[in-house]
Formats: sequence, structure tokens, C-alpha cells
Amino acid sequence: MIKKQAIAEICFKNKNAIIVSANGFISRDLFESCDKTTNFYMIGSMGLASSIGLGIAIKHPNKKIFIFDGDGNILMNLGSLVTIGFLKPKNLVHFIFDDSSHQSTGGQPTMTTKIELEKIAKAVNYKIFKIKSLSELKKLSSKLKIISGPILVLVKVKNNTQISKRVAYEPEEIKKRFMNSIMVK
Amino acid sequence: MNEIDQVKLFDFLLKHKVENFIGVPDSTMKHFIKRGLKLNKIIISTREEEAIGIATGMTLAGSNSLVFMQNAGFGNSISTITSLVQMYKIPLIFIIGWRGYLQSDAPEHILFGKIQPEILKLLEMRSRILDSKTWKKSAEWALKNLEKGDSSVLVIRREFHD
Repeated sequence: MIKKQAIAEICFKNKNAIIVSANGFISRDLFESCDKTTNFYMIGSMGLASSIGLGIAIKHPNKKIFIFDGDGNILMNLGSLVTIGFLKPKNLVHFIFDDSSHQSTGGQPTMTTKIELEKIAKAVNYKIFKIKSLSELKKLSSKLKIISGPILVLVKVKNNTQISKRVAYEPEEIKKRFMNSIMVK
Repeated sequence: MNEIDQVKLFDFLLKHKVENFIGVPDSTMKHFIKRGLKLNKIIISTREEEAIGIATGMTLAGSNSLVFMQNAGFGNSISTITSLVQMYKIPLIFIIGWRGYLQSDAPEHILFGKIQPEILKLLEMRSRILDSKTWKKSAEWALKNLEKGDSSVLVIRREFHD
């Protein structure tokens, strides 16, 4: 399954979910395939999408918070898994799109070629789903609604053949529209 | 800053709608942290950048947040400050412990302690040093900035050896 396909599938099936997406091609794919005001595109600060998502999840316990992470991103902030596992937000669903490469910087290999991230996440209280095909991903949607988190969905993906365009909004605009759309009314 | 003032500082910030205190411990502000832990208001993170990320998420959810760290961790956080806090204009209060303020501090703190004021200036981060006489004014200044959507730094000097 191609990464962008997986990203679009999850976003389309969960239109109301708040999504925090990691920097690089993940945010670009999300922006191009499923732009909406409840997406927070993290540009820069590599590794921190999971931490930002955690902060939102704690403050919005009744809303589903999706983190769209990459293998390179989470490897830069493995401590975040520990903090999430310790605080156990029930509403947090942590997707890692794992292509075993730093795709945004030229496709250099990451250590997930030999290290299984799901084992690390399992050791720190996550519930684990490992997904290898689009049909498995489609089946997962209904389960996500009834299981309490933190949940890790490790999605094994292949890289896109084409590069998605950059997020067109200015950072402050991303922030403002996101804050307005998730505000408690 | 002594124990009584650190406890008062925590209570003052909490009373004035700072809802989240996230950071990595520093002995320079141990009484501040102890007070927060007692009130169950503190999240201790694994690294300072992570604390800033969590605080950013909470701020995006509309909740006032503060991060605390030693200056060594402030050094770790520079890229996160420029590419997250400043780029998105996320209003936060930083409390930073100034190790290396005394030239007789432990060797690992000397250089960073010396360049810390310059680094704050280069980053264009507005800061105030807390002391017994003026801490409340400085805290009010930081709260006012927060309300306006700006970040500020409150520095606690390391004035003792252990």
C-alpha cells in the first residue's frame, strides 16, 4: 500500500477526527489528499507530532485525536511513547506510517528495517494493530471507535511515486483555523 | 529564589489561570516543582522538547501552559523554540533554571551559564530574572504577555551549591 493512499483512506473514513501530522511528506500527503480545518500540519520540529497530539488529547478527552507519525519522526522522540503509555489517554490513536526510510530527506534507511516499533509500544501500554494492506486498514476503522487507547496502528507502507505539494497555508493560519475548529463550544 | 517564594510563585500562576505545568526537573526550582506535584498539576516529560510539544498541544486546545527546565534543557530546545513556538506563535511561559550563574558552579554548567543571556537575546525571547522582591511583578508581566499571545521567559538563578 502506498503511503498517501493509507493517509487518505484514514482521513476520509474519520472526517471528524482531529489529526496532528508529522513534518515532511506525511503532512504534504494529508494536505493534498484530505485538507480540513481539524488537521494540524506540523512543519518543522521533527519528532514532536506525538507530543502535540498528546497535549490535545489530554485537554479534549471526549474527542478522538489521531497522530499521523512517521518511523523517522518517532525514532527521534521515543520518550514520547513512554509518556503516552504512562498517561494513557483513551482517546489517542497513534498511526505510524512506516516505510523504513527518511523519505523527505532522500530516502536514507531508518532502523525499523531491523527494529520492531510495535514491540517497544507494547511494552509501554499501547494496544497494537499492525496493518499491511489497504483491505486490513479498511476493516480497522470500526474497531478504532470502540477500543480505548492509547492505540498504535503501525501501517507498513511503500513510498509514493510522486511528491505531494507543500502545505499552502502559513503556519499562523494553520494554527488559527485549527484552534477555531476544535474550540469547546 | 527561596522555598517560600517558589511555592508562592506556583500558587500565583495557578490562581491566574495557568492550567498546565510541563517540564524536566531542575534542582534550582525544586520547591516550585514539589508544590505542583503536591497539587497534582505537573507533568514530567522525558525531554524538554517533548515538554514544549505537549504544552503546545494544550495551548492549541485553548489551555494556558507553562514549561519548566534547566538551562541545559533550554539548549536542547532551541530548534523547537524557533520552528514550533515562534513559527506558529504559540504563547507559553518558560521557567528556566540558570545553572552556571555562579562561576563556582559545576564545570558542565559554566559555559552555557555564561552565554545564556546572549542566547535569549539572539532568539529574541523576552525574559526577566526572578528574585524575592520582584517575582510577582515579573509573573504578572508574563501572564499579560500570555494573554496577548506572546511567550516570555522567567529565569531562576542558581545561587547555592549542593
